[in-house]
Amino acid sequence: MLGGFALTLTGCAGNAPQDTWKPSGKYARSIDNLQEPIFVAAGVVGLVVFAAVVYCIVKFRERPGHDSIPHQSHGNPKVEISLTALSAAILLTVAVPTVNTLFEISNRPKDTALEVTVIGQQWWWEFQYKTPGMEGIVTATELVIPVGKKVRLSVTSRDVIHSFWIPKLNGKRDAVPNRVQPLNMEATTPGIYEGQCTEYCGLSHANMRQRVVALSDADFATWVANQLKPAAKPAKVKDATTGELVDTPQSGGEAAFIANCARCHQVNGLVDDKGDPQNSKADEQLVSGAAPNLTHLMSRSVFAGGMFDLSLPSAACSPKTAKYTAEHPTGTPDGCLNRADLEAWLRNAPAVKPMYSIQNKDKLYRGMPNLNLSEADIDKLVAYLTTLK
Amino acid sequence: MAIIERPRELAPASFVSPKQAAGSFHRPVQTKGWKSWFFTIDHKKLGIMYGVAAMFFFLVGGTEALLIRIQLAQPNGKFVNAQLYNELFTTHGTTMVFLFVMPMAAAFANYFVPLQIGARDVAFPRMNAFGFWCFLSGGIFLYLSPLLGGLPDGGWFAYAPNTGPIFSPSHGMDFWALALQITGIASLTGSINLIVTILNMRAPGMKMMMMPVFTWMILVVQFLLVFAIPVITVALFLLTFQRRFGATFFDVKAGADPLLWQHLFWLFGHPEVYILILPSFGIVSEVLPVFAKKPLFGYKFVVFSGAAIGFMGWGVWAHHMFASGLGPISVMVFSLTTMFIAVPTGVKIINWVGTLWGGTLRFTTAMMFAIGLIVEFTIGGLSGVTHAVSPSDTQQTDTYYIIAHFHYVLFGGAVFGLFAGFYYWWPKVFGRMLDEKLGKINFWLMVIGTNFTFGPMHIVGLQGQPRRMYTYKAGYGFGPWNLVETIGSFIIALAVGTFLWNVVKTNGITGKKPRTAPLDPWDARTYEWMTTSPPKEHNFDSIPVVSHLDEFFHRKYAEDANGNMVKVATGEEILADQIAHADKHIHMPSPSYWPLVLAVSLPIIALGVIFSTYLAVVGGAICVMAAYGWAIEPSTADESDFENPAGPSTEVTVHV
Repeated sequence: MLGGFALTLTGCAGNAPQDTWKPSGKYARSIDNLQEPIFVAAGVVGLVVFAAVVYCIVKFRERPGHDSIPHQSHGNPKVEISLTALSAAILLTVAVPTVNTLFEISNRPKDTALEVTVIGQQWWWEFQYKTPGMEGIVTATELVIPVGKKVRLSVTSRDVIHSFWIPKLNGKRDAVPNRVQPLNMEATTPGIYEGQCTEYCGLSHANMRQRVVALSDADFATWVANQLKPAAKPAKVKDATTGELVDTPQSGGEAAFIANCARCHQVNGLVDDKGDPQNSKADEQLVSGAAPNLTHLMSRSVFAGGMFDLSLPSAACSPKTAKYTAEHPTGTPDGCLNRADLEAWLRNAPAVKPMYSIQNKDKLYRGMPNLNLSEADIDKLVAYLTTLK
Repeated sequence: MAIIERPRELAPASFVSPKQAAGSFHRPVQTKGWKSWFFTIDHKKLGIMYGVAAMFFFLVGGTEALLIRIQLAQPNGKFVNAQLYNELFTTHGTTMVFLFVMPMAAAFANYFVPLQIGARDVAFPRMNAFGFWCFLSGGIFLYLSPLLGGLPDGGWFAYAPNTGPIFSPSHGMDFWALALQITGIASLTGSINLIVTILNMRAPGMKMMMMPVFTWMILVVQFLLVFAIPVITVALFLLTFQRRFGATFFDVKAGADPLLWQHLFWLFGHPEVYILILPSFGIVSEVLPVFAKKPLFGYKFVVFSGAAIGFMGWGVWAHHMFASGLGPISVMVFSLTTMFIAVPTGVKIINWVGTLWGGTLRFTTAMMFAIGLIVEFTIGGLSGVTHAVSPSDTQQTDTYYIIAHFHYVLFGGAVFGLFAGFYYWWPKVFGRMLDEKLGKINFWLMVIGTNFTFGPMHIVGLQGQPRRMYTYKAGYGFGPWNLVETIGSFIIALAVGTFLWNVVKTNGITGKKPRTAPLDPWDARTYEWMTTSPPKEHNFDSIPVVSHLDEFFHRKYAEDANGNMVKVATGEEILADQIAHADKHIHMPSPSYWPLVLAVSLPIIALGVIFSTYLAVVGGAICVMAAYGWAIEPSTADESDFENPAGPSTEVTVHV
């Protein structure tokens, strides 16, 4: 009953992007093929037990005027042994496919096409691409993979234990500090596959999300080529009257970024006006020692650990489909930016996502602190961030 | 020599002044009056105290659950903030496991094990009192934390390194770790006590295989406790040393492997699951035969499967860690052992249904809760089998599907069993009948509430709602079912309220005349019903000799010439016979205040560990003093302890 009940109801649910019963990849499908008959079998066993209980309740209830003492049977070893053997036999039939599937989904596939190191920290995920030709690609929250290819993830953590889970692609794997643990993935159709950190990791555990974007080979190649580029430096413009170089909102934003953000957030290729490279020193600021790499922020569909959409939830801009990412692998189109949430984030991040805005005794933060930025700085920073395509 | 019950030949009885005898260094001897509850070593009084305190913590933990459910009733809930939510689910789990189900099971075990085996008390009565006070002081200590630096926020499972000093800087986890060390002492002393009692103090003639099943299950649980509590204590000790004294057992930067904590925790934690459920299995195995009017189907199977669970329960812990990254070989091993522990568990279901089969069923409230347990536990057991399928479990673990599973097991199982016990044994403990009509309302509210609260959790879990999240977004299909769960949780609250009202109404608390229970209201089968209700302080005037399983039944019924069972004696006649042969010398141990003093010293030491070494020294001094006081105190009071040092008082009570 339980199995059938759950099967029916989850099967009916239309809008459940994390449904474990609707696999979209090889590994999740193996698990699903294993669990569906087991749920049915469990449901049948449950029904037999309930039927027996109901039968007893109806058949053997005390009836008025019938108060004799029933036969004082102490049991029936034959019945007991055979029912025990039967339950053991049922479990044995479950055990065999369980072991087969376990190794099938765990073993390293020979035709692994992509290797990515997945690193959890409070409260977002980092993805470092390790396959030759893609080294140096570092993204956050959104893992982009080619469709139909085997992907091998190496999952680890920089602080506490997290768990990486994309229900439609595979089961979950804990991200344990000091351990690097494998997880296979493969998506059969292009699309966005959502997930959620599933090991309690402190204050903002509920806001630690992740997603896999599966792209066609061509789209994936475009995406990779774009990701490998460093950020372009926004040009200053010549003032028409004085002829001096003056800041645009974008270049002014870059200066504000260097002043306020670059000590934690890496932007590849970022240099100050003197040409000195600006590399993040997040380990001097944060317990986890890392903040999201923002080089290609605008190529992502979400920010703040997946808590907010980066583009507006309108029909034209909706990030809910892979088509969005396929058409815009190089950035959120103009007019689609979710400016309100992005500004609120810059204004006071811990106010919109629970994080520790005070330093601990080692002078380190957990999560992004309130930077007390001026509204002018916020406007300039947003202008700069939109250049990070 | 004597002293709760003075030797009978010493008539007239001595005079005792409770007022003066309770003076600071005078040994307490009184067994009546409110003060006696602080010094008592009577297993029955301690059982009641365990029950009352556990019920209080049940209400605390239940309130926390309701706050959680209000927060989750709708997407983007704003009722509590993230920090408070994390504290609430930590304390809800901790409270329900360590401060409700375990001590409530201890309440039943303390009260009924000696009565079921024909003993006059447990083997170590003062240690028994010490256990209770440790549990209570540990529980109170845990709830001092909101006043002294914040509730614990690391989850009841407290996974390292999230509970370390960097990631949980408030004192909450210090309180948590130390409180559980203190309550662990309660479990450990209690388990040794009950093992010795059961093995050594059974009535003449009562072989092990004649013991009531409840006593058997309690024996298995005590062995589990003896071995499981040290494991968690080690883990808690390491955590305390890391948090308070800079040790690095779980410090990742110093090279620690955080899975060490998980192995220690679940090596305790899985046997703990059986520690929580087996007492209720025992209760149900008492209730079903009584109300089916036939013996438990396959007594030996139930006993041996209980013992088998007790052994196999040690080999399954890593099934809590299938997603932790143990590697496929380990996962396979624990997957298989977990499947096979389902066999002895399934045996119990088979035997309970077999007990009903061919019986004459009377649907009292106790019986309904027992049958409710069979049904609800079966659901939880079957979802448990789906977790044993490890690939499937990697989709389910840490989702609401797991929450559904263990609440069907622990609420639909353990708690239903405890409620069956309340209704079944209430007349024995208090000599009063609970109202059956209210009882049935209680039962049906509980069934509806349980399935509304925990049933939909299967669905949202499989739809991918992770647990321990203070909020969830709209658009994932979670919202409507979460609302149903919240409504269900309030129906459970209503059910618990009905039970409390039943207690108030039928026990003379409202001023209404309580309904006195008949001696044998259920036509019971086991030994504890062969004495008065409530039992005298020495339990039995004479210890009846045992020759059967279900001794009481076999004294009441015998086969006639046609092989039919007919009644040959009433409970009253059997009791009268026992009183007529009353023992002349009944030696009972005397009250003592040292267990209380010793137990109170522990939270003082613990506060010292957190806040100040000086306080720990003070607590340690009290501890040593109490231990010495206890050691040199004779187990029975001296005759002179009964004398009033200031001469005869006008305020006297006869000590019978």
